[in-house]
Amino acid sequence: MGRKVFKYLIIAVAVVLLAYNSVYFKKLDEVKAERAANTFNAASYAQNFWNKKLTPALHSAIAVDKLIPSLDSDPKQAFDSWSHALGIGNLRYFLIKGSGTVAAVDSDDITVSMAGMAGQKIKIATEYIFGNAARDATGLININDFSRTMDFNNVSAEINAIIRKKVLPLLKRAKVGDSISFTGAIELNKEHLNLSQIEAVPVAVNILPQKL
Amino acid sequence: MKYLSTIKQYILYVLVLALVFGSCKAGNGRGTHKKVAVIVSTLNNPWFVVLAQTAAAQARALGYDTKIFDSQNNTAVEADNFENAISAGYNAILFNPTDADGSVSNVLEAKAAGIPVFCMDREVNSVDAATSQILSDNYSGCVAIGKYFVEKLHKHGKYAELLGLVGDNNTWNRSKGFHSVVDFFPGLTMVAQQSADFDRNKAMEVMESILQAHPDIDAVFCGNDAMASGAYQALVAAGKANDVKVFGFDGAQDVIESIQNKKIVATGMQFPKVMAKTAANYAGEYFKGKRDFPKKMPVAVELVTQENVSDYTGYGKKD
Repeated sequence: MGRKVFKYLIIAVAVVLLAYNSVYFKKLDEVKAERAANTFNAASYAQNFWNKKLTPALHSAIAVDKLIPSLDSDPKQAFDSWSHALGIGNLRYFLIKGSGTVAAVDSDDITVSMAGMAGQKIKIATEYIFGNAARDATGLININDFSRTMDFNNVSAEINAIIRKKVLPLLKRAKVGDSISFTGAIELNKEHLNLSQIEAVPVAVNILPQKL
Repeated sequence: MKYLSTIKQYILYVLVLALVFGSCKAGNGRGTHKKVAVIVSTLNNPWFVVLAQTAAAQARALGYDTKIFDSQNNTAVEADNFENAISAGYNAILFNPTDADGSVSNVLEAKAAGIPVFCMDREVNSVDAATSQILSDNYSGCVAIGKYFVEKLHKHGKYAELLGLVGDNNTWNRSKGFHSVVDFFPGLTMVAQQSADFDRNKAMEVMESILQAHPDIDAVFCGNDAMASGAYQALVAAGKANDVKVFGFDGAQDVIESIQNKKIVATGMQFPKVMAKTAANYAGEYFKGKRDFPKKMPVAVELVTQENVSDYTGYGKKD
């Protein structure tokens, strides 16, 4: 009888121990916080990149009046010197700067006649702020920072969102005849270079209204 | 006599040792001469044939023995291919997976055997299984298509979307890239979004049914070129080929010709040869001791339109 009771007691203890160690209770808030901590936050990464990398790098942008002649005379040298891209392929990105006069204001962009470059015009996008130009042009983002494909896609989208919020409102005040200086990112195809349709995604702009 | 017997014994030892070391070398292939396996999802699609053959050719050009294994779009066949490649002593695997989730265990098996795996074009859903994954930048390619789509439709109209295989990451990366642009424009309304499994015939059937429900659509965005061709066929049959703009993705030869003939509006050009060569080169670098490969390496996708199609040929640029 005593042995039987002892046997059942051992079994009961084993079952309780097993059950106790099989089930864990955690607060839902803690689980959510843990999951959020492990999830890549593209918006936060983009804001940090904007403040700590892109903005300080603006002074290193290549001047349009230096880049265009270089692309004309020795495109390979120009791409090697000033272009960047996160991946491989023909699409490369440049961080450019320049100044000129607003020649046209359209629904999707403004056209700038570049100072000191007869006939050279650059479009600055005001509607289609998409793609990787602003993310990749500085070459300061490391692809190994990202483990998931969508993470670096989302970073581009978030940087573009910052541009829409911070830069476009300034640009949309531009009028024909205004003086403008800008820093922006452009995409060029190194195999099939087309310098007649350069469109920059604006990163910083300064507009001086025309004196009337 | 005793002297002869000792010599025989020595010869026997030497032969046994030669046999043991010789078989080890042949068996595990870890000798100086390297072997590279190319395991591809299917050889029933010319795009993947180009991918596999280019990878094998590049590996051969680097001095390695190569063999192509066809997984026939079947994860079980793929698992057999991995087992065969591992037991046959291949030193690296250039891999085009059949399934982002289902293929992870195969890659992990190779990793456990000390064999690096370099994914080409399609990814596996694991951060650390493959040594590196060389993938088309589907999302960014479709951002470019999305922008061109909005421009061509002048920001207004109704459209349909044909998705690829719903279990394939490429399907969603393309769709998300496209919508990351198009959804910014409230004048554009998506009236139908259906999967046609990347298949031309299925796309034709799906497009026929979409046209019955929505005869007034202005455009269709297709997640690959096979579906774009199928959708275009359905539009021709319905007498709407001139009214509905078709956009594809891949850069297949027949769609490049359709763009030249102004039947299809645009596609995204992927570069299977670039991906395949990069994967083979990475394997070569691995053999030489390199270990710090990027986990994901995007390969740029280029927008091909009726304006720039003369620069391109199927699966790449004109030389």
